[in-house]
Amino acid sequence: MSEGPLLWYLNRATGLTLLVLLTASVVLGVLSTGSRPGRGLPVFVTQHLHRNVALLSVVALVVHVLTAVGDSFVDIRWWQALQPFGASYEPLWLGLGALSLDLIAVVVVTSALRTRLSHRAWRSVHQASWAAWACALAHTLGIGTDVENGRIWAVAPTAGCVLAVCLAAGLRLSRWQDPSPHVPAGRST
Amino acid sequence: MNTPPVPYPDEIRVHPGPALLAGIERGPSLTAHRLQYGDLPRVDVDTLLDLVTGVGLRGRGGAAFPLATKLETVARRAGRSRRPVVVVNLSEGESASSKDSALALTRPHLVLDGAVVTARALRATEIHVVLPAERALAARRMREAVAERSGGPPLHLHTAEPRFVAGQSSAVIELISGRPNLPVTSWRPDAVSGLDGRPTLLSNAETWAQLGLLALQGGAQYRRRGTAGEPGTALLTVTGTHRLPQVYEVEYGARLRDVLPDAAAGAPALIGGFHGSWAAWPTVASARVSVPGMRLLGVPLGAGVVHAPGASICPLAFTSRIVAYLAGQSAGRCGPCLNGLPALSAALDRVTDGHDGRDRLDELAHLVVRRGACAHPDGTVRLVRSVFAALPGEVSAHAAGGCLRTPEELAS
Amino acid sequence: MTRRLRVDWPACHGRGLCHELLPEIVELDEWGYPIVTGPVTDALRADAETAVSSCPRLALRLVKE
Repeated sequence: MSEGPLLWYLNRATGLTLLVLLTASVVLGVLSTGSRPGRGLPVFVTQHLHRNVALLSVVALVVHVLTAVGDSFVDIRWWQALQPFGASYEPLWLGLGALSLDLIAVVVVTSALRTRLSHRAWRSVHQASWAAWACALAHTLGIGTDVENGRIWAVAPTAGCVLAVCLAAGLRLSRWQDPSPHVPAGRST
Repeated sequence: MNTPPVPYPDEIRVHPGPALLAGIERGPSLTAHRLQYGDLPRVDVDTLLDLVTGVGLRGRGGAAFPLATKLETVARRAGRSRRPVVVVNLSEGESASSKDSALALTRPHLVLDGAVVTARALRATEIHVVLPAERALAARRMREAVAERSGGPPLHLHTAEPRFVAGQSSAVIELISGRPNLPVTSWRPDAVSGLDGRPTLLSNAETWAQLGLLALQGGAQYRRRGTAGEPGTALLTVTGTHRLPQVYEVEYGARLRDVLPDAAAGAPALIGGFHGSWAAWPTVASARVSVPGMRLLGVPLGAGVVHAPGASICPLAFTSRIVAYLAGQSAGRCGPCLNGLPALSAALDRVTDGHDGRDRLDELAHLVVRRGACAHPDGTVRLVRSVFAALPGEVSAHAAGGCLRTPEELAS
Repeated sequence: MTRRLRVDWPACHGRGLCHELLPEIVELDEWGYPIVTGPVTDALRADAETAVSSCPRLALRLVKE
C-alpha cells in the first residue's frame, strides 16, 4: 500500500462528501413523499434525483472504505469496515461507521429489488435510512479528524447536514400526522 | 348515521316453494331435510359438471356467472399442492335482500349439501361459511345446522363485518384470511387463485342450495321447473314500504307481478337491489322472471331483490337516499370511489332538488366506473343511470321543480 | 396481444408520477388519480416500464391481455 498521506486525505475528503450526499439523499427522499404533480419540480424528477444521489453516495462510500482499509497509517482491516465489531482502531466510532454501511447496504439492496418485494416490506426496511444517517453522523463526530480539530470547512458542512436532516425529519413527521385529504383513510404517505 | 334506506329486517316471511323451499313447514332440522330430499349422494367432478352444465346453473349472487365455468376452472387448477377451497357466501350485506337468510332459516342443509357434495367432488380440504353480520337469527340457525352435520370436509364459520361491501368476493377472502373484511385488487379470478393462492370456488348461498338440490334430485327433476331454455327456480325478496320482507321461490318464466303486492301496481319498482335498476310499471307488469330476459328489458334481476315502494314514494328522492347510503358504505380504499361517490351523491341531490346538474352527474358517473378494486361504484352508477333511463317523466317533473308523487312523501 | 397498464386502486395514492412519465396514456382526474386512456404501444413500452418501477406505491402493473 502506498506510503504518505494521499489515501488518508482521500478518506477524509470522501468522508465529508459522503455525509453531505447522504444528507441530500435523505432530504430528497422526504421531498419525494410529499410532492404532488404540478407543484414545482415534477415528482418523478425529485424521486429519480433521490435515487441517483443515493447511488452516488454508495460510490463515495466504496472509495471511503477502500482508502480506509488501504491506508497503512491506521490499522483497519477490510472485515472491520464491513461489520461493527472487532476493530482495533477506534472500535466504537469505526463500528458505528460499519453499522451505517450495513444499514445502507440493506436499504440499497431492498430498493434495487423493490418491485419484487411487497410495498410494506420495502417501506419498513427503508426507514433504516434514518438510522444509517445517524450512525454516519456519530461516526463523523467521533472519528472525523477534521471535525475533531475544529476545522471550519468540515464543521460548517457537518452542522449544515444536521440542520437539514432535522428539518427534513420535521417535515416528514408533519406530513405523517396530516396526510393529503384525498389519500384513502388510514394510510400515511 | 349511515343507515340503509331499506332497513335490515328483524323478521322476514318465507313462502313455501316448488323446489328449494318445498316442505319448509316441517322445519330446518337435518332429519326433516333428509326426509324431504333423501341422502346426499357422492358425485365425481365430471358428473357434477355435467349436471351443472345440463341446467345452465348460474350464480345467484347478482352477477349470474355460469357456475360450470367456475367449477371447471377450480377442478382444472386443483392439485396435490394446491388444494381447492369451497366458500359459501351468506353474508347478505344488502339490507333489501333476505333470500340467503331465508335459506339459513328454512333450508340450511340444502346450502350445506351443495357445498359438501362439491367439496367432495373437488377433494377440497375445507369449506368456509361466511355468516351475515346483521341477521342474528339466521346466523344462529346456520350455526345449529353446521353442528348437526358430521362427515365431509371441515366446515369453518366466519362472520362478516356489518357493511354493504362485506359480501364482495375479495372482501370475503380477506375476512377468511384474517384480515379486514374489505375489497382488495384481484389480479386473478378466485377460481384460479383465491384463498392463500389456492383455487377457490366462492359462491352465493342460494347457488349452493341450487347445486345441492341438483345433486339430490338429478337433472331431470330439476328441469321440470322453469322453462326449457332456463330451467330451475330463483329466490326473490320483495320489499316495500311498511311491509315485512317476503321471500318467494319462483320458477323461471313466471310473471314477476305475481309476487308483488297490490299496493305496488301502477308505480315504479327497483329491481336488483341498491345496485339495481328502476323499472316503470309497464315494464314490471310485463316482466317474466328470467336472467337473460330481464337483462334485455334493461332491468337485470341481480340477486333477486325487488323493492316496490308503491305510488306515494318518490323514486328520485329514494334514489338520493340510497346513493347517500352507498357513498357512506365505500370501503374508503380507492381514491375514485372515496372521492367520487360523495360527489355523485351531492350531484344527484341537486338534480332531485330541481337544480341543473345533469352534466356534472354524468361526468362523475363516468369517472367512477371501473376505477376501483370492486364494483361498488359501478353498481351505484347503474342505479343512478336507471333513474334517467326508466323514469324520464319523474326526472322532468323534478327539473321543473315539482314531483309526480304526493308532496308529503318528499320529506322521506 | 395488447399490453395495458392496470392500477392497484387500494395502493394508489394519486402521487401522479405515472402521468408525468406517460402523459400520452395517463391523465389525472380532479382528485389526482390516474385515468388510463389507451393501451401501451411498443413505442410507449419503455416509459411504461419506468412508470411501473417509479410508482412510489407500486400501484401500477403492466399486464398482457
